[in-house]
Amino acid sequence: METLRDAFDFSDFSKGERIGLVLFTLFLFIFPWLGAGSFVKAVMIQFLLFSLFGMGWNTIGGYGGQVELGKAQYVGIGAYTVALMMVWWKIPFWVSMPIGVLIALGYSFMIGYPLFRLKGHYFAIATICTSLVLQDIFINWKLVGAAKGIELPIHEHPDFLYMQFKSDTYYFYFIFALFYVGLFYMNWFRKSKLGYQLRMIKDDEDAAESLGIDARWCKIKAYSIASAFVAVGGGFLAVYNLYIDPYSVMDLDLSIKIALMSMLGGAGSMWGPIIGSAFLVPLDRFLGSWLGAQKGLIGVDFMIYAALIMIVSAYQPRGIWGIIEQFRRRGA
Amino acid sequence: MAILEVVDLVKDFGGVVANNHISFDIHRGEIIGLIGPNGAGKTTLFNCIVGYHKPDAGKVIFKGNEITGFKPFMTNREGIGRTFQLMKVTAGMTVLENVMVGSFCRTENRNFAKVEASAILGFLGLDEVKEYHLNELPIASQKKVGLARALATQPELLMLDEVASGLNPKETEEMVNLLKRIHQEKKITLFLIEHVMEVVMPISQRVIVLDGGEKIAEGLPKEIVKNQRVIKAYLGERYAKDL
Amino acid sequence: MIVLDALLQGILMGLLFALVALGLTIIFGVMDIVNFAHGEFLMIGMYTAYWTSLILHVDPLITLPASAVVGMLLGLASYYWLVKYLLRGPMIAQLFGTFGLMLFLRYLAQFLFGTDYRIIQKGLLVGKTLPLGPFILDWTKLSTAILSLIAFLLVYYLLHRTKLGKALRATALNKEAAAYMGIRTDQMNALAWMIGGGTVGIAGGLMVNFWYVYPTVGLLFVMIAFASVAMGGFGSIKGAFFAGIIIGMIEMLFPVFGHLIGSDFLGPHFKFTVVYFAYFIIVVLRPQGLFGWKH
Repeated sequence: METLRDAFDFSDFSKGERIGLVLFTLFLFIFPWLGAGSFVKAVMIQFLLFSLFGMGWNTIGGYGGQVELGKAQYVGIGAYTVALMMVWWKIPFWVSMPIGVLIALGYSFMIGYPLFRLKGHYFAIATICTSLVLQDIFINWKLVGAAKGIELPIHEHPDFLYMQFKSDTYYFYFIFALFYVGLFYMNWFRKSKLGYQLRMIKDDEDAAESLGIDARWCKIKAYSIASAFVAVGGGFLAVYNLYIDPYSVMDLDLSIKIALMSMLGGAGSMWGPIIGSAFLVPLDRFLGSWLGAQKGLIGVDFMIYAALIMIVSAYQPRGIWGIIEQFRRRGA
Repeated sequence: MAILEVVDLVKDFGGVVANNHISFDIHRGEIIGLIGPNGAGKTTLFNCIVGYHKPDAGKVIFKGNEITGFKPFMTNREGIGRTFQLMKVTAGMTVLENVMVGSFCRTENRNFAKVEASAILGFLGLDEVKEYHLNELPIASQKKVGLARALATQPELLMLDEVASGLNPKETEEMVNLLKRIHQEKKITLFLIEHVMEVVMPISQRVIVLDGGEKIAEGLPKEIVKNQRVIKAYLGERYAKDL
Repeated sequence: MIVLDALLQGILMGLLFALVALGLTIIFGVMDIVNFAHGEFLMIGMYTAYWTSLILHVDPLITLPASAVVGMLLGLASYYWLVKYLLRGPMIAQLFGTFGLMLFLRYLAQFLFGTDYRIIQKGLLVGKTLPLGPFILDWTKLSTAILSLIAFLLVYYLLHRTKLGKALRATALNKEAAAYMGIRTDQMNALAWMIGGGTVGIAGGLMVNFWYVYPTVGLLFVMIAFASVAMGGFGSIKGAFFAGIIIGMIEMLFPVFGHLIGSDFLGPHFKFTVVYFAYFIIVVLRPQGLFGWKH
């Protein structure tokens, strides 16, 4: 089937990129046996998770050029669906996760329809609003645990039905698998009709419309895909942390981080979200733990990101990948 | 058979009536030119037909179906293609990818789109610049890419908005030949807005003239150049009287 | 009766919101940039007033000029060191740029002042009330409203009656034409940021009398400002005024409404959520707001 072949076909990337991808994959594969400590393992898991989030955001924010800052609400939808279904009805992960994705898709279509009447700044602000509204509702909704959140009951380890494990190694391979599913999906996506149409919309929306593209509908589709991606990550978070609350899974800060990863790495490129994540997640964790340990330095880590964001925005909006591409073209 | 019928079209921008009860027909296989001084309402008329603006009154009928007020993507799917006078010069997609987007209008399959797009690029002589980005090309090539994109959507009526603007005489001649080929080999009806008379007059079978939002003349090119009202519109009262 | 009281309180708060929205709408009107850091400017205005009054042992109302000056300098610095460069880039870069500024200022404040909530405990007007018929008004809020109104009118006067103001409005309408007339766009941009920063600095200085100051207080107010500007029309000063008041009223009326229909769920904890929701509805249904031009 052409679709499957497309997903696995990386031939239009440069040799360097392909070799890099292979080495990267090998490294990840053997990583758990390299004897790294639990902190480093946790950072790697975070890195893969945020790459997944970033790839999702990239469909609408990068390829589509619609900067949206409300992804966290879908992380929340995924996380809460999995958590609540497990707590209330003992439904296994493999059933609740797809349901979570469906809910995310449905919700995204519902708000996507009015949302995409807007463009640019208005759109970005509106996405923030929808996320804040949902978070506020969850904070005050006793049925779903309100501000206290939900604690997932611990099952006998390892439990593949409910995806609960004692050792991080299992979680690592789990997110590794999800990451690669996401990667192959993105590889297919950028070559698909929707991918092309979205890129045209980003470049010149009027021209796109004159070529038979229903811009609004395309954007909604991409937005929903992004939401599904991110919801899966949310589901993972639920079974990984075994505790969720509106502040950890629906926060505006999370939305910002997700968008930032992609933007820093290079929005609209395949590797951008991964690069951005590789840069920011370790920075965040190591800075956080190092600086946090020294009292009185709270917030410095965010200050550094913020400074980074400002510098990148002012000088190289196309992110790190943009810088790499510039070098490549100069050299060519 | 009239492929396009514009009936009593009105577009009022709240102070300026850009199109004041305009009516005309275009028949399948024709090449029709639309001329008129600046501000006559030509681009507005175009935009009302393709759907960029919604007419305040009147009808637009294409292939017998009413398309008044249809959005641009809908009119395109019905079979109307258009080029833009000023193209946004972008750096995000290559020439081939741009044209593929056009092809994707009629197919779901990427390889098919690629083949079709390559064929059109070949037809227009743009093979060598396939992998370039729009911002790396000279204006004449950019215009050709715009043409290629629109052609890829397999239009039955192609509307060209000042396709010759910005071109030097040699490029203009090349463009005229290209348009002739498109008309003959692809059997597409052409409707051109033009200021460059060297393009409009030789190839149009009929010319429509707008001035101040109204249609002031319609006929064969050789009749239009002698038409008093037309001359007055372009050059002023004096010149018309002298003739 | 509770309704009328809520309405009155709403108008008082609304005047403050209007002042906050004023700066945002001016910046947008002149150069089409949404200043995400606007709330942080407010926060800095608040901290300025707080610390100045504490250190100099004066009433916060007297420290208003300090807040104004700090706000203006902040606006200028932001323009010349960041925004000027952002203007060259695509919209996504501008968005992220001011976003980055927002985060930077917020966490700088957290770093410098910690996350504690502070409030002015002593002052000329703190805790004093004015009985007005059946209503009891807090002097702090009342003075805030009056001073906001004055500040608003001053800016309005500046923009409509002075040459400088007219130059600014000309740039907002058509910067190229204004430039041809000899009005330097760069200077007007800087002026817009200065006014924007100054007005919201004053607003912060006023608020510190009755609102807690903490590093993340900006987020809430920037969202309220967005809602006001959207409702009033991006770029419209009149709009910012009326919309600010309307939002103030909505915010105060909502808990009353919830109470009246006997709903526990729709309570005061949602009063700001309603504002976010309002932004969404307004911008989808009527993008140009009340007085703005269509985008």
